[in-house]
Amino acid sequence: MAQTDSSTKAEVKEATTYAPLITFISVQKNDNGVDLKTIVKAKINGALTKLPGIKIEFTIGADSTAKKLGEAITDSRGVAIFTCKPDQLTTDKEGKLNFKASFAGKDSIESAEELVSVKRARLEITPVKEDSLLSVKVKLIDLSTGTETAVAETDLGVFVKRMFSALKLGEGKTDAAGEALIEIPNNLPGDAQGNITLLAKLDENEVYGNLEAAVTQPWGTPVSDELKALPRALWGTLPPLWMPITFLILMTAVWGHYIVIIFELFRLRKEEPKTAS
Amino acid sequence: MQLNSFQQQAFDQQRSHIEKFGRRSWGWTIFFLLWIIVGGYALYLQNADGHIVTGMRDNVVWGLYIANFIFFIGISYAGAVISGILHILKVEWRKPIIRLAEMITVIATMIGPVFILLCVGRLDRLHHLILYPRLQSPIVWDVFAITTYFTGSVIFLYLALIKDFAIYRDAKLKIPKWRQKVYRALAIGYRGTPSQNKHIAISTNLMAIIIVPLAIIVHSVLSWIFGMTLRPGWHSTIFGPYFVLAAIYSGTGVLIMVMWVYRKMYNLYDYILDKHFIYLGYIMLVLGAAYGYFTFSEYLTDWFGSEKWNSEVIHKLFSFSEYGWWFLFANVAGILLPMFIVAFPKTRKPGWIAIASFFMVIALWVKRYLIIVPTLESPLLPMQDTRLEYVKYSPTWVEWALTFAGIATFFLGFILLSKFVTIVPISEFGDKEKTIEKTTVPASDIAPA
Repeated sequence: MAQTDSSTKAEVKEATTYAPLITFISVQKNDNGVDLKTIVKAKINGALTKLPGIKIEFTIGADSTAKKLGEAITDSRGVAIFTCKPDQLTTDKEGKLNFKASFAGKDSIESAEELVSVKRARLEITPVKEDSLLSVKVKLIDLSTGTETAVAETDLGVFVKRMFSALKLGEGKTDAAGEALIEIPNNLPGDAQGNITLLAKLDENEVYGNLEAAVTQPWGTPVSDELKALPRALWGTLPPLWMPITFLILMTAVWGHYIVIIFELFRLRKEEPKTAS
Repeated sequence: MQLNSFQQQAFDQQRSHIEKFGRRSWGWTIFFLLWIIVGGYALYLQNADGHIVTGMRDNVVWGLYIANFIFFIGISYAGAVISGILHILKVEWRKPIIRLAEMITVIATMIGPVFILLCVGRLDRLHHLILYPRLQSPIVWDVFAITTYFTGSVIFLYLALIKDFAIYRDAKLKIPKWRQKVYRALAIGYRGTPSQNKHIAISTNLMAIIIVPLAIIVHSVLSWIFGMTLRPGWHSTIFGPYFVLAAIYSGTGVLIMVMWVYRKMYNLYDYILDKHFIYLGYIMLVLGAAYGYFTFSEYLTDWFGSEKWNSEVIHKLFSFSEYGWWFLFANVAGILLPMFIVAFPKTRKPGWIAIASFFMVIALWVKRYLIIVPTLESPLLPMQDTRLEYVKYSPTWVEWALTFAGIATFFLGFILLSKFVTIVPISEFGDKEKTIEKTTVPASDIAPA
């Protein structure tokens, strides 16, 4: 079965029950682990709505030999990710990984499941520095036959990890040796030590699904992570001068009035006619 | 102390209320004490098991308790602002109702901050607020502001009571000796000499002047706890005046309700007149219009701006599958209803005004809830734990029990205070008898405008 982002069609069966739509992908990483990612939505009141709090169970293998990998709960974006360790992975006779994501159903949301079947493969990323020229060599290797076989004529992308998502740096096609050389700019902002994390990605491939490899290199421009003194901040150690001054003026004004009043009451008590008491 | 005929009449009518603690009072006291006991059990559970027994979690960290806190501090404005301003303006008709207003202030200011303590997770560190205050924090401003405000409210109420304490002291009331001693001590030797009157007049004028800006500062500071936070629905420049206005508005509503109840229970129709309801109704009308204007302005700018996070909160407030019905109720009962009731002569009657006030006060409580919860349910960063109870806040019975215990304490405070002092001030009828004569015209003679 060909892998990729496949989905079941969402449809409202009854007024109060909803058929969830599960989008399921696998990402094979260069540490030989696999990330299993699902996005769960349902058509509610005519709109596709992300479903948080849905418990997804992940299994590997065909139905008769299926082995439970673990569970994950969808977050507010309807996303649940499970990281599969290398020793949990088993392939079938064709060298394929057969994953299943299933939801048992809850309240008004019906049960659902989704399958992913991909060939075992690995993406390797190697930094290459020649004089001032920076590049990465990316190699795609097929592992489904038990031996490592280079995969040619496949499009790959190289990215740099940024704070929220990966920024694309370039693309390449693997040669007969399964390798592609992609140039990296030398002026990328890095962390305090100038480190940047480079990612090689193969996205939505019909045979291998998604693959990813990462390497960290000191090729970036160092960006200090020290907090610079802000001109003003409520969380600073000391309050700005105007604050205690205002506080003292206000407090003195109000409590000063109270003291005057209490003083007046003492005088009132003193002035009680003696004959009356 | 010698009483004039008006004072004597007012005192004779009310002395039985402070001499006897009748069956009805006992009944209500036991009823409210039962509420408080249930609240006490809820508090025990909360302390024993922690805040897990409440509906508050990592994302929605404030709920009913903070809504109650703002509500009670808000209604405490009845005495502070209404009696303060009316005193400064020397409005004579205020006299029969001023004590009720000041009682609301003191009792509500005592109850409100307790809800903060219920919301705080580590009460054992409470003294750190005093020992290690961060003057940059609006929370610390609030602690100082409320403490100062409470002290001022107690002084203001006490100043208004000194002359009456002297009357109770000299009236040979049929009360236990310890109570006579208490009245004697609280009267601090007041005998009505001109110089003593002068001391009270100076003190009262000073308090009336200081209590109004103080009350405005207190509620502004309270609003800044929200306004200075960069959260959708909270970060607003108009939150200060908006909160102050809502507070005076709800305080006026509670005052009208309390007036209606005591007028009926204590048969005070000769003192709390229809015109008091009508005048306070007019105040409520003006405040309601201003509050409506602020509400419209606040939500219009948020909606029109369509900023992502604000839009999420606005969507929750407008969506009938979320908070839409409550939002509608808060605005219809909180803004339109009181305005319509007071605007039309046919409904401009004490009963109608009291009913409108009742719904308005509930609506303003709902409004406080709507300020707090939908915003906290819309965090700026995605939630890590998305169990429904983390995403969506729903109060537990523990929180409701403590809420009702707070309300019961408010009512109980009134029962106990009204058995200790007269609801209508006696001494106020001394200085300007002509005015009092005018004030004590039978209710039926006051035709609605």
